[in-house]
Amino acid sequence: MNELLYQFAEWLYATPWSRAIEESFYLYNWIETTHVLTVMLSLGMLIFIDLRMLGWVMPQVSAVKIAQRLNTAMMIGFVIMFITGILLFYAKPTYTIQSIWFRIKMVLLLGAFVNALLFHKRMMSSAGSWDMEPKAPAHLRLGAALSLGLWAGVVTTGRLIAYDWFHCYRDLPAAMAWAAGCVAD
Amino acid sequence: MELLPLGFFEWAESSFLGYIGKTYGGIYATLGQSVHLISLAVLGGAVLVSDFRLLGWVLRDVPSEVVAEQAHKWFKIALFTIIASGVFMAAAIAIKLYYNSAYWAKMYALIAGVLFVFLVRRPLLRGDHSQINPWVLKLVAVASILVWVSVAATGRWIGFS
Repeated sequence: MNELLYQFAEWLYATPWSRAIEESFYLYNWIETTHVLTVMLSLGMLIFIDLRMLGWVMPQVSAVKIAQRLNTAMMIGFVIMFITGILLFYAKPTYTIQSIWFRIKMVLLLGAFVNALLFHKRMMSSAGSWDMEPKAPAHLRLGAALSLGLWAGVVTTGRLIAYDWFHCYRDLPAAMAWAAGCVAD
Repeated sequence: MELLPLGFFEWAESSFLGYIGKTYGGIYATLGQSVHLISLAVLGGAVLVSDFRLLGWVLRDVPSEVVAEQAHKWFKIALFTIIASGVFMAAAIAIKLYYNSAYWAKMYALIAGVLFVFLVRRPLLRGDHSQINPWVLKLVAVASILVWVSVAATGRWIGFS
């Protein structure tokens, strides 16, 4: 599996656009800046929705209304964030695919996605009974807290990708080398 | 133009905070950079929810006074955390920052943002919004978005300069 992923990364690395992005000081850095700026939009909206569920913001306003009204802006932010994230990966595929932080980030992203789907489904199926309450029911508050925790993890591991403390050219324990997907230095 | 003398930055880097940040990379990256980014997300949410409401893009059926009041509470929390984590990060690389033009651009943008919020935006929005010219509200929202996006963008470019 790690071999296959690394071969795919090598193929991406050899494409002209990958080299062009990484070698362009302004293009690469503006993509990264846009990736960070969209955190303000996507996670900013998400945090407000989660805080409302926990009863910490606008408790007098319908929770479902807040979730629905902020959803479009949040999704626009996430789309830009994912596009710029893919471009950042595309610019440095062989380094990133062997980063243990990147791998943890992907797992946390998957967790956040599944949690969001479950949260939305549960919120809509029970909305009528608690919508105007200052706090959402316990199972939805748990989902909101989990969402905040998972996204904090995504941001943290995303930032740590830049650090090579556990990269493959280091002397890593076998389990960590496997988890990082070490195939080449 | 630098706001503070080089001696201050030399002192900051040799301080206890500077020592912790320089010596322990993990603490610098998590308690410094990650907390800074997470706080940026909270600040971004507070600014954008409130400004998008003033622009009539979101929550049109919720009074803009309610949105502005609630968002400001979280803005203050986020701003405090951003400044605290920023001071910690800056102490570790203080001398390098003194010579970094993006750092000074961010400081000027941050000061402009804080002055704008507490001297213009907040006093204006504390009252009844129906008494304010809608174009003034929209202008305040656009200015607010521009200033805080500038703070975030110049902040990111510190690392590239």
